[in-house]
Amino acid sequence: MAAFLFVVPPLTGHVNPTVALGRELERRGHRVAWAGYRAQIGSLLPEGAEILPMGGEIPDEILEAAAAKAQGLRGMAALEFLWRDFLVPLALAMVPGVEAAVEKFGPDCLVVDQQAFAGGIVARRQGLPWATSATTSAELVDPFAALPKVGEWVRDQLRSMQVAAGVDPERAAEGDLRFSEQLVLAYTTEELVGPALGLPAGSGPVAMVGPSLATPDDAAARHGDGAFPWEWLESRQPKILVSLGTVNGPVGARFYSAVVEAVAGTAVRAVLVAPPELVGEVPENVLVRSFVPQLGVLERVDAVVCHGGHNTVCESLAQGLPLVVAPIRDDQPIIAEQVVRSGAGIRVRFGRVNAGELRDAIGAVLGDPAFVAGAGRVQRSFRAAGGAPGAADRLETLLG
Amino acid sequence: MTEVAVETEVLEVVVGLVTDVVGEDFLFDIEIGMETSFSTDLELESIEFVALSEKLQGHYGDRVDFVGWIGEMELEDIMGLKVGTLVAYIASCMA
Repeated sequence: MAAFLFVVPPLTGHVNPTVALGRELERRGHRVAWAGYRAQIGSLLPEGAEILPMGGEIPDEILEAAAAKAQGLRGMAALEFLWRDFLVPLALAMVPGVEAAVEKFGPDCLVVDQQAFAGGIVARRQGLPWATSATTSAELVDPFAALPKVGEWVRDQLRSMQVAAGVDPERAAEGDLRFSEQLVLAYTTEELVGPALGLPAGSGPVAMVGPSLATPDDAAARHGDGAFPWEWLESRQPKILVSLGTVNGPVGARFYSAVVEAVAGTAVRAVLVAPPELVGEVPENVLVRSFVPQLGVLERVDAVVCHGGHNTVCESLAQGLPLVVAPIRDDQPIIAEQVVRSGAGIRVRFGRVNAGELRDAIGAVLGDPAFVAGAGRVQRSFRAAGGAPGAADRLETLLG
Repeated sequence: MTEVAVETEVLEVVVGLVTDVVGEDFLFDIEIGMETSFSTDLELESIEFVALSEKLQGHYGDRVDFVGWIGEMELEDIMGLKVGTLVAYIASCMA
């Protein structure tokens, strides 16, 4: 029996895959805990999960940066902002808390989210084994292939951040903190992302284990699904789920209204996950809910329209559902390209898409069996990849 | 051809290729010109530069070494990069 400490950032999508993996490790008799900001991660973890909170609340300026990040910044400015105003300050703010968590919990191994650099920093300082938990697959195919100096700039941020946090400068210059030298867990498969290419020197082996999904029961227990009108999804009409994850505000409102217009007067039933006040009046074939028990809904719909968040895409493909993806920023354009290349869906523009294009895209993924076949290929690859048990097997190999 | 004529012709090609990369509907209220910024106006992501590089290679072949040219740029250069700068570079390769 060993002790595994998950180090997670205050970002929903990054906590989710650790839930099923943590449960699997516990089932094998290991001790498991999560280090992170309690206010942001507490509600995402199962009841009774041991949380080792950071001392104090998340600093306001980091929270503001996270909120600004959610407002739809794109392009190179978004990249600079993400690193300078969010990832680096977050890492430095979390280091003391993760250090204290390690002292208290005594882990044999850290499982560090790819955007929670404090975990890698503390593991390096203390000489502990650690694995990267790559919530998204975007970093596995070098996004800076055409812009080497931008890639170098990112590595500079990582180096100076480690030195600022007390890592020996020579050690800080080795490898790349986005990739553990021992193990990189990726919740996807080659069928979707292609082979991992262009990884920086010193990266550990990449284990593509497929999605680490909570069971629908877990998810329902966390959020309660009593209020969801399941009978609405019993119709024989084609059904879709439309979700932009946690993206809201005016950019979302425009997209929602295009979706509503796209399905108005068609035979398609759409479950739209959005704050009802952002959407306004809808026709009777649209159901608006600010929260849905997503895994349960995915079992009952025929296709998904989303922004290309890695979790929603993988949860959909795990059900063999074809997708219309409207990527906004960060890793989403990369995930959208993966969906297109694997034949599982269509990409549309997020910012300027109109109702006609959306109607065509939704009609195509519902009507053309090639997309269902593409999604089915990815679904089978997920089933064969090992999931949370496969990830746990790999983590156990890191124990001395 | 005069320098201006070459640049006008290159701009037309670049506008076409950029439109292919970012999508027609993204551009319906942006007129791409020499002053258009890749980062703030077109909001090009890192991987879209890969796509643009493939399209330029397809059109100009080895006459234009876009990969070598953009590969020398720092993050802040790319943040300030305008369509006109790329057009002038391509035109200089044609000369």
